[in-house]
Amino acid sequence: MIRRAASPLHAARAPVAAAYACAFVTAALAFEHPLVLAAIGVAILAAGLLAGAGPQLRRACLFGVPFALLIALVNPLVAREGLDVVLRFGDMGPLGNLDVTKQSLVFGAILGMRALLVVLAGAALLAAIVDADELLRRFRGISARSALTAALAVRLVPVLGRDARRLADARRCCPGAAGAGAIGSLERLQIVRAVATGALDRALDVAATLEVRGYASPAAHGRARRPHEPWSRHDISVAAAAAGLVLLAGGARLLGVASFEAYPRTVAPVGAGEWVLCAALVLVALAPFADRRGVLR
Amino acid sequence: MSGRTWPGWRAGRRLAAGAAAAAALALGGCGLGPGEEPATPVSLTVTSDFGGRALLRRPEAEVSGADTVMRVTQRNAKVTTRFGGDFVQTIGGLSGGRRDGRPYDWFIYLDGVLTSEGAGGLRVTGGERIWWDHHDWGLTPDVPAVVGSFPEPFLHGADGRPVKLQCDPAQRAACDTVAARLDRVGVEADRGPLRRADRDGSLRIAVGTWTALRGGTPEARSVDQGPKSSGVFARFGDDGASLSLLDPRGGVAKRLGGEAGLVGATRQPGRPPMWFVTGTDAAGVAAAADAFDEPVLHNRFAVATSGNLPLSVPLPAADGP
Repeated sequence: MIRRAASPLHAARAPVAAAYACAFVTAALAFEHPLVLAAIGVAILAAGLLAGAGPQLRRACLFGVPFALLIALVNPLVAREGLDVVLRFGDMGPLGNLDVTKQSLVFGAILGMRALLVVLAGAALLAAIVDADELLRRFRGISARSALTAALAVRLVPVLGRDARRLADARRCCPGAAGAGAIGSLERLQIVRAVATGALDRALDVAATLEVRGYASPAAHGRARRPHEPWSRHDISVAAAAAGLVLLAGGARLLGVASFEAYPRTVAPVGAGEWVLCAALVLVALAPFADRRGVLR
Repeated sequence: MSGRTWPGWRAGRRLAAGAAAAAALALGGCGLGPGEEPATPVSLTVTSDFGGRALLRRPEAEVSGADTVMRVTQRNAKVTTRFGGDFVQTIGGLSGGRRDGRPYDWFIYLDGVLTSEGAGGLRVTGGERIWWDHHDWGLTPDVPAVVGSFPEPFLHGADGRPVKLQCDPAQRAACDTVAARLDRVGVEADRGPLRRADRDGSLRIAVGTWTALRGGTPEARSVDQGPKSSGVFARFGDDGASLSLLDPRGGVAKRLGGEAGLVGATRQPGRPPMWFVTGTDAAGVAAAADAFDEPVLHNRFAVATSGNLPLSVPLPAADGP
């Protein structure tokens, strides 16, 4: 469940906030240049902190950093590229001669960094700033069936988790299970309660999900249209930032700014173009925070 | 004093175990840094169209430590790779793919032998001749051995295996020429008669007319079966008195009558390469023996002689590149 904070990102409508997070993912995937990736990382962290999503980003790091490290470690072992050998493992049987090169280490670190940025922007920031209920409600106007499927799937994941825990508790009451004795009336009651609670819980969750997403309203059946909501200044500024990030990434790729060559020698030019691009990415990403008027407190 | 009571015992054991592990790793070829550089220069050649067009020639290629063939190539030429860096996609901008409806790709010959391993897994130790050729493989992707890296594979590529010069007694002069050329480049060869089967893993050079060599070994039989079997783009007539030179598509590009010679190499699976210095008759064998020389064989898959004129085999297709 989203925890609304007083920030322009939370003030913007859900699709716009989602586009903002996705623009970071696009930018991270568009570049391999370490300086630019670092700038995107700074922008994601700053946006997250300014939007009050620091705890979510920190939790995402707990998963994302080991994942990034794993990628960084695996790449040198599977990529037989690069010229400067730093470690020789000799003949590894079916794998042949295994040499770790400086270039494969560097590129592994870059791939890990990109993965971390995708986790931070595409998972943590997105979850922290986007109201999933609102997003799905708006998506319903485009494809009602898909929105319904997505809504139920998202909602049922925690329900199924609770089901699993209840059934595990109930299983422990069964005779023959580890640590279980002869089954009594109390244990029988516990099993019945677990199964019944699970079924009721699921039914209630499905009903609540449908209600919350507005499937009970006349609009869900096409009998009424949602009133037109004018774009707020935050909608406009966040959407402009998202578009700006994508345009900067695309433009830089077209102009050849921040080009990167991983193998056989690492080539990552750092010139005025790269510095300007980094500054522009950070400024564009954080521009919506300059105007906090009308933000809920 | 018991081992348990000596305070340094445990630390000493750990140190010894660490030293043993380090020694085992070092013996297994492990270590820090690029390793020792080979003492003998490594040569790198890049050509296209069966050696017809030279793109790069580095008799002493830049090598760092215990490089692989791929790294040597990348150090000396502009290369792009595929499949995790083991296989070449482009060298100098020339890529594998299709041209005029024919499949083309890069093939690597290490000491004159087509390698089945990716270049990223082949380590150079010194003295290797690395030859990349970009050619049409529509007829066969398997040209298992070539003569253009002479004196390899006899000098370094033999891996300690003996080199045997097997001669038709009627072609003593040609055999002497071949023996002298081998001797000149420092290859010691045991000289003997033609033998039908030789299972000792030696590298063999058979010298004689094709009528004398024909059918004697699996390699000779594969040459008679054509380039799909042997990778040699030349075929002798049924009577051995004529030699047809083929183009990369397998068509006859030129037919030679008497006094035609051929220096070619082939290899059967699991066996070392075998070379032929042969001809339609004694004059052809003598001409082929004369062509058995580094400057003549250089960058050629096989060499045919018409009179004393050496011709690269396969010949270019009439409408080909």
